[in-house]
Amino acid sequence: MNFELSSDRVTETSPLDETSLLVIILDTNPGQRILRENPHILTQCTDSVIAFANAHLMQKAQNKLAIMACHSKISEFVYPGPGKPLDIRQVDGQYEVFTLVEKTVKQNLMKVLTSETSTVYTESLLAGAIAMALCYIARILRTKTPGLKINSRILTVTGSSDSASQYMNYMNVFFTAQKQSVVIDVCALDQHLSLLQQGCDITSGLYLRIPQIQGLLQYLLWVFLPEPPVRQKLVLPPPVKVDYRAACFCHRELIDVGYVCSVCLSIFCKFSPICTTCQ
Amino acid sequence: MADNGIGTSHQANTALIQASNLECKNLYDYLRTRPSTLLDRLYNHPAICLAVYRELPEIARQYVIRILFVEQPVPQAVVASWCHQSYSKEHSHVCQVLSDLFVWHEAPIPGGLPGWILNSTFKRNLKTALLGGGKPWSMSSALEADNKARDVSFLDGYSAERWECVLHYMVGSQQQEGISADAVRILLHAGLMKRDEDDGSPVITRQGFQFLLLDRQAQVWHFLLQYLDTVEQRGLDLAECLTFLFQLSFSTLGKDYSTEGMSQGLLIFLQHLREFGLVYQRKRKAGRFYPTRLALNITCSQNKGVPVLEEDAPKGYIIVETNYRVYAYTDSNLQVALLGLFTELLYRFPNVVVGIITRESVRQALRGGITAEQIIGYLKQHIHSQMLSGDNKNALPPTVLDQIKLWELERNRLIYSEGVLYSQFLSQADFNALKQYAQQTGCLIWSNKEKRTMVVNKTGHDDVKKFWKRYSKGN
Amino acid sequence: MADDEDPKEYRWETGYEKTWEAIKEDDDGFLEASVAEIIQRAKRKRQQNKQVNSKLGMMRHLYVILDCSDAMSAQDLKPTRLLCTLKILENFIEEFFDQNPISQMGIIIMHNKRAEKICDLGGNFRKYIKTVNGLTKTALIGEPSLQNGLELALKSLKLLPSHASREILVIMGSLTTCDPSDINKTISSLKHEGVRCSVVGLAAEVHVCRQLANETGGVYNVILDDSHFKDLLYQQVDPPPAAVCLESSLIKMGFPHQMIVEGTEEPLTMCMCHVDSSEEGSKLTTGGYYCPQCYSKYCELPVECRSCGLTLVSAPHLARSYHHLFPAASYREMEFDNQSLNCFACQKVFLETDKQIYSCSNCEQYFCLDCDIFVHDILHTCPGCATNPTTFQMFQS
Repeated sequence: MNFELSSDRVTETSPLDETSLLVIILDTNPGQRILRENPHILTQCTDSVIAFANAHLMQKAQNKLAIMACHSKISEFVYPGPGKPLDIRQVDGQYEVFTLVEKTVKQNLMKVLTSETSTVYTESLLAGAIAMALCYIARILRTKTPGLKINSRILTVTGSSDSASQYMNYMNVFFTAQKQSVVIDVCALDQHLSLLQQGCDITSGLYLRIPQIQGLLQYLLWVFLPEPPVRQKLVLPPPVKVDYRAACFCHRELIDVGYVCSVCLSIFCKFSPICTTCQ
Repeated sequence: MADNGIGTSHQANTALIQASNLECKNLYDYLRTRPSTLLDRLYNHPAICLAVYRELPEIARQYVIRILFVEQPVPQAVVASWCHQSYSKEHSHVCQVLSDLFVWHEAPIPGGLPGWILNSTFKRNLKTALLGGGKPWSMSSALEADNKARDVSFLDGYSAERWECVLHYMVGSQQQEGISADAVRILLHAGLMKRDEDDGSPVITRQGFQFLLLDRQAQVWHFLLQYLDTVEQRGLDLAECLTFLFQLSFSTLGKDYSTEGMSQGLLIFLQHLREFGLVYQRKRKAGRFYPTRLALNITCSQNKGVPVLEEDAPKGYIIVETNYRVYAYTDSNLQVALLGLFTELLYRFPNVVVGIITRESVRQALRGGITAEQIIGYLKQHIHSQMLSGDNKNALPPTVLDQIKLWELERNRLIYSEGVLYSQFLSQADFNALKQYAQQTGCLIWSNKEKRTMVVNKTGHDDVKKFWKRYSKGN
Repeated sequence: MADDEDPKEYRWETGYEKTWEAIKEDDDGFLEASVAEIIQRAKRKRQQNKQVNSKLGMMRHLYVILDCSDAMSAQDLKPTRLLCTLKILENFIEEFFDQNPISQMGIIIMHNKRAEKICDLGGNFRKYIKTVNGLTKTALIGEPSLQNGLELALKSLKLLPSHASREILVIMGSLTTCDPSDINKTISSLKHEGVRCSVVGLAAEVHVCRQLANETGGVYNVILDDSHFKDLLYQQVDPPPAAVCLESSLIKMGFPHQMIVEGTEEPLTMCMCHVDSSEEGSKLTTGGYYCPQCYSKYCELPVECRSCGLTLVSAPHLARSYHHLFPAASYREMEFDNQSLNCFACQKVFLETDKQIYSCSNCEQYFCLDCDIFVHDILHTCPGCATNPTTFQMFQS
């Protein structure tokens, strides 16, 4: 007779005791190339993202959701929006909660889009939006019921390009995410995003540049719907080798061997006796 | 295996113990045993599809969502390629579950390869639930604002009071309030209570005690399943009731819903739910009702202890120390009585009870048919948040948990299994051949090479006997 | 508190403090809220003390000198001083290399009047954690010799190039030291070499330690309990301001990348880090980082190339340290007066109970206390500034 005491089995949390928090950042900046060419794509993207968000809520009753819009001048939470939730009655066979998500997102998104003034910045400040999302996740984790495990991740859906001007902010949010074990997923609609790809690699998230925007919803559902613990069981696009070479501060070119200032860590491609950044 | 001879009588004994344990079915177990015609009718409603979808295993949910928008059958080989090789066991299990529930069925694809296709009713209605379209759910007709709207805390108070009424009745404690004959009938039907042999009054059974130790959500779910068993005898339509129940479970707390357009049968069903505290109605004919927390997400019976809403978090009150002392911050007689099932109570103050877990007290509970797992489950479920705040991996002291399990194990030092003894083999080779065969078929219980004896379980006996005949003929 | 910076005034010379008056009961008669407030305040205070300084010693070379004398077996820290120290030190090492990825560390132990170098300067934190774990079985004997320890550290710090920031961290359990000659001479030569010495005392204040720290520009603290110990040690994680004699100079570094040739399989090779160990991991692998100068392969970064001596780092490693140089703007504390409905970052709705809210001087958004701490302790990017194109540009220029 075996006296097997499996206290581990009882104390370990089974996947059923876990809930999943998903924060979606949708880039709505009208300066993106794809939106400049065809503004209707935004409607399609919004619909796909809402359907995807609802599919996430459909997975488990405990799953949590937040959606942010990253506009050219501001980033805002469009779900759950500020103030009281809307009072929704069912109009068709859709689950009430899903209707609420759809209505709230559309209503708040409208506010964000119409608030736009004349000057348009073409660069979307995604790093800032991710920073906000991390603060939001940190609050949820702070106020959660003790003993409950929450897997959190951030999905960024964007068609803009990533510029080196946000480099420092990007790195700060990536390392924070890594520390808080928040997974960053990126779905690139247009250009290849090498900086955000580094973020995915650092936080062990998934990076996907979709070949055509018509199939956005299918790509989202196939690749980004499974939560990180399930992903290892499924066959998903393999991680791409990420280029971690540094760009020099003087010419912004990728270099293999460079010179680093011992005080301010600026990177240069040629040796000079003094550092031009800190002196 | 000296006790082989008395195996038969003990077999019956263990069977008895097993049967008397409370069997908790989840939605999958429940639906799997229903006829497919009922399932087809059920899938006609988005709410049920949603509930079934949520109860599917994780990977199955991904499969379904991947083929939700595909109109043709998908080759089985393709589906298999979605799952990592090392999890192929899980894959086949998942395929089985999906077939069992008629969520998908086999269909050949043009090339002749076997493929899977989603049940068209299920697919249509799951899409409706996710994306919209179709008819609104039956209870969501527009209502004028309630001038006496009830807030969430009122509903919580109401539902807790109603449900505890049932529990109090079961333990027969003093705070008794009348519960209807219907409820009593269900308790009796479920085997949670039985008629006393002397005076015919209902008394609690050992399953009843086990029931009390479940968490509230599981209690409601178990109770409702028992209720649904009797629904057809009452002349109500099972599919209709189930549909309504799931609609209710997906409603929003604190919102009122309309009874307009509900059939006579459903109105009766609603009154029953009202009695158990799943819905609140001011008056029978109010035309509106409020679902309570008990009715929400009833199917999540597997996700024990995970609150759906933040404020839903159970208020734990039990602290267990490594010295086996238990402190329970409660003033409820019911909770004290439950704790008393497996602890020796030492002191009682207005807001706290102090007890100690002893070998005797646990054995007492075990004798009463409660398992160690259930005791631990109960402690875990009601653990004080203070104990969770630190390193939450070992919220309860592991020493106490292990000891409780050891106390249970010491009652089961022997395993009885019925078998047939084979002995007096003429040669070692004969013995070896037969032993090897029995081992391969997996029916060998015990063997001894020196004495050339072996015991084969009863189901394998015929098989082994046949083999032996073939074998000895061949020689 | 032991961290009185001013050595002239002793605690008993200050006015009589009624410490209990700072603690107030809340409406239900609980103290929790009040205590939590005191902790929060302390956290904020520490944060505000962080000065913006663009000249920091980023390439740190730190020697940890650990007392392994008889005094470390005392049980005032649980289970013993040594075990408690090693546990905290382990976390410290991890945090140190996390925050200072291009820095190096070495470990020296003092026991039986001798100093022994058990780890040379290096950058592989796994090795240090392993060493520290191995120290649990050290025999705690005799007296420590502070002078021997310092001299040993100095001997190797002396050789470092002038751009390196040299530091010594002494963890001292003993109240005595047994030195071969005049320790003041050692202290002055440390001062001369620009070595910053900090001391954490586990027992009581010792004059010679105070002197050492004061002379060399380090800090001296005596712990109150284990959590205070941890706090004090963690203060050493942030890079110190650059010493006066520290020159900035450019150091050659390599940024290796994986060799990816389209369409071809990478060859199976052995990495240099595991080439002469027979442990797990010394297998032939495909991926890896190749030194751009000599093409030796390494499986982990940062590392110093074994064959050509080039420091190999990846760009994110450097970026991890940028926040020390460019910290997020600090927030102003202000009374809550319905300036905003909710916290800009975490969306928490401000209630009556939030007496103070915080506002960024750059982007003028409002934040709650928790976000204030989160942003400045972990995130290092103000969400308000980073989402606003105008402040974002300001920040860049």
